[in-house]
Amino acid sequence: MTRTEILDELKKVIAPYTTNKEMLASINEQTDLIKDLKINSANLVDIIIDAEAKYDIEIDYDSADKMVNVGTCIDVISEKLNQKA
Amino acid sequence: MISTGNDVVALSAINAARTNQHKFYSKVLTDSETPLYNEFSLAGIPFENFVWLLWSIKESAYKFLQRHNPGLVFTPVKFVVEELRLPSAYIIEKFDAITEEGIGFNGYPALTGIIASGEVKLHSCSLLYDKLISTVINDANDFENTCWGFKIISGTAHENQSKEVRHFLIERLNRLYGEFDFRVDKNENGCPVLFKENEEIGIPVSLSHHENIIGYSFMIDERGVF
Repeated sequence: MTRTEILDELKKVIAPYTTNKEMLASINEQTDLIKDLKINSANLVDIIIDAEAKYDIEIDYDSADKMVNVGTCIDVISEKLNQKA
Repeated sequence: MISTGNDVVALSAINAARTNQHKFYSKVLTDSETPLYNEFSLAGIPFENFVWLLWSIKESAYKFLQRHNPGLVFTPVKFVVEELRLPSAYIIEKFDAITEEGIGFNGYPALTGIIASGEVKLHSCSLLYDKLISTVINDANDFENTCWGFKIISGTAHENQSKEVRHFLIERLNRLYGEFDFRVDKNENGCPVLFKENEEIGIPVSLSHHENIIGYSFMIDERGVF
């Protein structure tokens, strides 16, 4: 999957957990999950689990630590998809 | 270490079914923490509430430490609750009020714990009611100088939560110290900082919101800043 394809799917994963729909529509790789999308930290575990299910990957703790903005989320998902391939 | 950290959880907003799935709680609890549930089970506390109680302790500890270590990352399993004690004859109480505020926890059915982050050990005090959890952290087993509060609000939009929790904290500060012009901003590390008459003051404050619950903690000033 390309980064653009991962981003499109990632938007769907994030959508239930953000109230900032305007920001969601215009997210880019620098968009911060907590500061910009106003996602409660309590929902970050949900996002990781949903991403694991969506891409059939496993995200370990050290990788999850890196998932602070959209770009790093794509990095982690991309890396795990490549490991699976 | 002068700091404070708090967290609130709205139990009406948690997904109980998901929380009870291993794939979820294994990202929050360590293997050493799961057995702590035995005593809570006997007290009739649902497992999902136990998981979120530990979450609130871990998040509060993270906030306490992040003030002095801005690069710290919140990974729940790297904050390990080592001890967690229920008050004797504990039963879950209904919370029928709108607001609760206190200094310390004398007279409250507080659950006390010890949490470790690496070599650092911190102490927690949590209140667990039927609809919410509120936790405060200190680096000593002494909460006599810790002011805390939580409140149920009507609007759950992020901007509203953020505005309401600041207002709630400042009302308390005004009652304690007088009608000064207090303001809370976040610093470049996302840590809340308290200003009085536009001057930053070294009173650590912590803010939290989750759905319709907001909460704060701060340390009473013992140095006469006011």
